Amino acid sequence: MAMQPHSKKRVCYYYDSDIGNYYYGQGHPMKPHRIRMTHNLLLNYGLYRKMEIYRPHKATADEMTKFHSDDYIRFLRSIRPDNMSEYNKQMQRFNVGEDCPVFDGLYEFCQLSAGGSVAAAVKLNKQASEICINWGGGLHHAKKSEASGFCYVNDIVLGILELLKYHQRVLYIDIDVHHGDGVEEAFYTTDRVMTVSFHKYGEYFPGTGDLRDIGAGKGKYYAVNIPLRDGMDDESYESIFVPIISKVMETFQPSAVVLQCGADSLTGDRLGCFNLTVRGHGRCVELVKRFGLPFLLVGGGGYTIRNVSRCWTYETSVALGVEIANELPYNDYFEYFGPDFKLHISPSNMSNQNTPEYLEKIKNRLFENLRMLPHAPGVQVQAIPEDAVNDESEDEDKVDKDERLPQSEKDKRITGEGELSDSEDEGEGGRRDNRSYRTPQPRKRPRLDKDAPALKDELKAEDSKDDVKNMSVEEPKKDTVPNP
Amino acid sequence: MVLAERSNDVRNGKRSRGPSPNGHGSPDSSSEDENAEKIRVGRDYQAVCPELEPVEQRRPELISDRALLVWSPTTDISDLKLDEYITTAKEKYGYNGEQALGMLFWHKHDLNRASMDLANFTPFPDEWTVEDKVLFEQAFQFHGKSFHRIRQMLPDKSIASLVKYYYSWKKTRARTSLMDVVGEGRNAAGTGTGKSGAGSEPGGSDKESDNDEKGELGSESAGSGGKWCTVCGILCSHTTPHNSHKLCQACLVHARRTGSMRPLCGPSGRRGPGAKQQRYKHRLPRGIYINHDDLVAMATGPQPGDPVQPGIVNQGEAMLKAMDREIISLKRQVQQNKQQLSAMKRKVGDAGVDDLRPGEPPAKINSRWTNEELLMAVTAVRKYGKDFQAIAETLGTKTEAHVRSFFISYRRRYNLDAVLREHEADRGNAHHIQAGTTSTDAENPVEITTANNGTSSPQTTKDEKPEVDSEGVSLGAPAEQGGPPTTPPKHKPNK
Repeated sequence: MAMQPHSKKRVCYYYDSDIGNYYYGQGHPMKPHRIRMTHNLLLNYGLYRKMEIYRPHKATADEMTKFHSDDYIRFLRSIRPDNMSEYNKQMQRFNVGEDCPVFDGLYEFCQLSAGGSVAAAVKLNKQASEICINWGGGLHHAKKSEASGFCYVNDIVLGILELLKYHQRVLYIDIDVHHGDGVEEAFYTTDRVMTVSFHKYGEYFPGTGDLRDIGAGKGKYYAVNIPLRDGMDDESYESIFVPIISKVMETFQPSAVVLQCGADSLTGDRLGCFNLTVRGHGRCVELVKRFGLPFLLVGGGGYTIRNVSRCWTYETSVALGVEIANELPYNDYFEYFGPDFKLHISPSNMSNQNTPEYLEKIKNRLFENLRMLPHAPGVQVQAIPEDAVNDESEDEDKVDKDERLPQSEKDKRITGEGELSDSEDEGEGGRRDNRSYRTPQPRKRPRLDKDAPALKDELKAEDSKDDVKNMSVEEPKKDTVPNP
Repeated sequence: MVLAERSNDVRNGKRSRGPSPNGHGSPDSSSEDENAEKIRVGRDYQAVCPELEPVEQRRPELISDRALLVWSPTTDISDLKLDEYITTAKEKYGYNGEQALGMLFWHKHDLNRASMDLANFTPFPDEWTVEDKVLFEQAFQFHGKSFHRIRQMLPDKSIASLVKYYYSWKKTRARTSLMDVVGEGRNAAGTGTGKSGAGSEPGGSDKESDNDEKGELGSESAGSGGKWCTVCGILCSHTTPHNSHKLCQACLVHARRTGSMRPLCGPSGRRGPGAKQQRYKHRLPRGIYINHDDLVAMATGPQPGDPVQPGIVNQGEAMLKAMDREIISLKRQVQQNKQQLSAMKRKVGDAGVDDLRPGEPPAKINSRWTNEELLMAVTAVRKYGKDFQAIAETLGTKTEAHVRSFFISYRRRYNLDAVLREHEADRGNAHHIQAGTTSTDAENPVEITTANNGTSSPQTTKDEKPEVDSEGVSLGAPAEQGGPPTTPPKHKPNK
């Protein structure tokens, strides 16, 4: 089965119009409003009409305790801003209060977010859809009995648990700039869920996600962590994402995939420190989609909300296999997207601290771990990734060509700090990274192809025989393997 | 916590977690991460995976969706028709896109029935009255985004409603403030003199400029059929003379009742020192004026608080809403056009523009001039001047050399110099044209022919530069010179 970059799939989308109305509190960077902005953009791009739109039910306490502890859920259900003082002790215990504040409608918000992901998983189980989207989900930090990093109820874990009823192995991929610790912890000791997280590591929340954290017990080697440094750009990201994911697909052979699309890995995020564009971020969705597995897309972080909604809108279009114009359609929040009113964003000139050597080293270490998996074929290990990278980046060039602008033009597009920012009156700078992305620095770009052009050509010649993108090599098996 | 991520005490060290089960005993595990968080292992941390249901026991059709389907795509309706339907629903009935599609889905994708049903429902009315909005703005000034505090001033609103309103109001703040500027401008101009505020000369004395403007206004009002109230300075259809003033209805009522002129708030106009500065700051933007009749119409409609006349919607609000809708519709159009333009641009960019160029001229190059060609050539001279190459390309049947010889041989017959002059006049070389037109038409050809013999003309005026002369020469004798400039000359030789 050849994989097309833009194959048409049946897409289901989960959204509750109330979700944008929850408010974490003054100065808090997490804004559920971004989900409504995304929704509105989708609607006005005409993407809405191409999907099945569902309003998810509110997840019940019963459903949530499939993962979470009873007393934690009971606590979430009963706490309100006006009775907080009675719960001091429990708030400490469940880590609710600071990062995870008590706000009006907190429990309902969790219900909607979790309800969407669970309903989406059910839909996939029924094989009534190939791709399900819940931008209101993706709250990957929440633990069994503890809130963390703006997350209270882990909708992803609940969704995966639902998928596990019908799927022997589920792959979880996390491209949020933060480590997906909640999901990793939940499935740390099982071999039925592999968690793969790409994240900034080193003096960064939540502090977990070391390269050497690989799972425990039966789950050993089933947690994959890709620790990254500041300034990851599209090219570097793809250069590590493609080989790792291909390898994981090849060795783990999941029958369903969950992708957490945290948009705080985008350039210019209020909390993030990567330099990805909407295109580079969406590229991950495209690559995973190509495997043709039942696919659950959830949201996650993302704190520069105009870019979050750009990103998730674009990724919805990728899921649908529909091309959308770079000019944004008029929408309810049109003014948020000034001054350029375009869909795509340009990377900043921040330096990329991930050298090709560093990425190569990580990749090799992870490959070693993946080789330890029981049913790893272990053969076609060598050259595949290089070619994949090359192949894809050529593709990318074609797509990109007319979008690229001279630097002078890009500079014009950089929005001033205060300009209609979604966080304008919260900008005391407390939460923002102090580094200025705009200080001109010579940009270090990893040149992947420099040292291996000859090798690549050789490979190409070899590959042209079966003329399949090597990522698809595994594909045909997929349909037969899933549930032994 | 995320706040602390930049500092070293990750999570403020307030929790200690169990060590990683893997122990990191390998030699390369350094001590750098002794404070780092670890994934915990134990019954309290991991999820319990459900058993895989055997395929034969699965009953997927029995599982509830746990979600309500509100729209499903259809292939029966073309995108164009759907767009049309949505636009109608939006602009005629005030639906939003989602509601419109919801209606269509309700009617099982029957476009006709849905269209007919649109009128039977009014989408959620805006439950925010003007008072609410003003209150919200005040509360916001006071409390910022503490919605529970704002709520104390608007107790009938839920927090959700406040948050929703906040996000839609936030983007319009810029527009609101513009309105404020306009409002102030009106007041400033009004208190002053009853002039429009436009075009007062900074130099002239107040009195003079007032008089000037009054004259101006008078003529304006005569033209447009409107009159200007001399107190509040607003254009209205009907004014009543009162004492020495002409008053609009509002001012008249006030004057009759109180016996004094209607006071208007805002910075005092012409009398105070520095009033002028004020006036400039608050002047109405160009092209904007305030029509008093509109104001009256807006203000006299029943107010939202009015218990009587429930049938009539607040007129002013209705007007503003209609205008808002129009603006939005136009903006939508603008963005759509932009999308189309860029799509076309991309198409052109991909395919290249060459396909669209006319092919090679089918006609062969022929040195004989037909009447038609001659006519075209003259027109081309008018257009391109002495750019022979361009002329040759336009004609398609002549080479550059042909055109050049045409120019020489037909110069007199068609008075091509006059044509050239016209060409230059078009190019807007005002300076030179002026110089050129001082000499009479009859003289000119003669002058040029004198220049024909290849020497610089002695009549050239002193301030002309030498290049001009040589160009003048080449103009006269293109063939002899061998390589005349192909670009049309910027200057003409004059006297």
